[in-house]
Amino acid sequence: MGAGRVRKQQGNMQSPVNWALLGLVIERPSYAYELAHRFDRTYDGALSLSSTSHVYTALAALEERGLVEEVPGSSTGRQPKPRYRAPQGAVELYQQWLIGQLAEERRRQRLFAIELAALMGRPELARGVIDGYEQACLQEASDPLPSQDANSEEKVSQLADRLIDEENRLAVGAHLAWVQYLRRELQAIGEPASPRR
Amino acid sequence: MSLLALQDVCKRYSRTAGERTVLRDVTLQLEPGDLAVVWGLKGSGRSTLLRIAAGIEAPDSGSVRFEGRDLAQADEGLLGGGIGFPERGSRSAEGRGVLDHVMVGLLAHGVGPRAARTRALRALERVGAEQTASQRVAALEQDESVRVAIARALTLEPALLVIDEPTKGVDQLARDGVLALLRSLANDGIAVLASTSESTGLAGADRALALSEGELRGAPPAELATVLPLRRPRRAAG
Repeated sequence: MGAGRVRKQQGNMQSPVNWALLGLVIERPSYAYELAHRFDRTYDGALSLSSTSHVYTALAALEERGLVEEVPGSSTGRQPKPRYRAPQGAVELYQQWLIGQLAEERRRQRLFAIELAALMGRPELARGVIDGYEQACLQEASDPLPSQDANSEEKVSQLADRLIDEENRLAVGAHLAWVQYLRRELQAIGEPASPRR
Repeated sequence: MSLLALQDVCKRYSRTAGERTVLRDVTLQLEPGDLAVVWGLKGSGRSTLLRIAAGIEAPDSGSVRFEGRDLAQADEGLLGGGIGFPERGSRSAEGRGVLDHVMVGLLAHGVGPRAARTRALRALERVGAEQTASQRVAALEQDESVRVAIARALTLEPALLVIDEPTKGVDQLARDGVLALLRSLANDGIAVLASTSESTGLAGADRALALSEGELRGAPPAELATVLPLRRPRRAAG
């Protein structure tokens, strides 16, 4: 299967569960039941399967788009348990999708800014939102430190935790600085007209 | 009675362009074992706040009490006594060996050289910097430098540590080790008041505070905690 054929179909796949499952298949070829367990363990709290059978639906969708394929010879025997793997084209698409998440995050932040700007005519409401937003940032940033000690089996999952934590903490820093800017803008709006800055 | 209590503290600085208020009615209490970290942008007044909390600088108005004593009225400063203010090696300390540097406070307090050496080594072990004992202060990495500064303060067994930007300049991978040290000191019952200009320096704090426009803002009230917009789920262990 070529990467070109995969790319042609990926535009339709919106389901974060399907993409998340694809990530697991890329990490290590597995059969469906094992994938369901790995999904729960890996994405716990972030994404969930509606039931174990959800993984079969998701795999079928991925297979239809050519994003996963059965490992040859893995579905033979009296109780066939096909194992799934990801072709190279799917790996490349997965990488592109991950990078695309940044644009999604920026879209959400843009929306929040517009919603907040709509409150600027009611400074007392805007200030309340800004204060609450800042407090949320502070609480997020003061989360407990991720564990540093791990045996070799735990190292991979703890690395993921640390990556998540670091990204969170850095993002919160940007939000905190943004709040200071917002306050000054709000203050400037409330002041008599004068040349800004 | 709180270990440290700042009440309505105000501080203004005169500048050619006029007066600037850096602290506006700041109120803060710390109890033994608290780890409070103040975040603020450059020029926000966080270092001023820490110097006032440590009794190094006096507020224009308001009060600062440590163990019930008004720091402004204290005949002798409490630095080097109940309050520790770790500072990374000054230029004068750079040529000195780490062990000598850590012992200085003890010697100044009349502790004999042998006992001072033992206590200094114990403090270095406590902060995870025992391997630096024979090094020069100038040769230390940034994280080691912070640990050594904390060890020096710990030799005098403070109840409160006030530390300005402990993670500034510290390598990203070493930073959490410094924060974990502050956390463990608080877990041992020492109150820690730290500052940071980076949100990464807030991790593990009991209280994360923000200083802006001279006002100190803090953790959300409990009723708001359930509707926080930012909180992202963490992965479960295992």
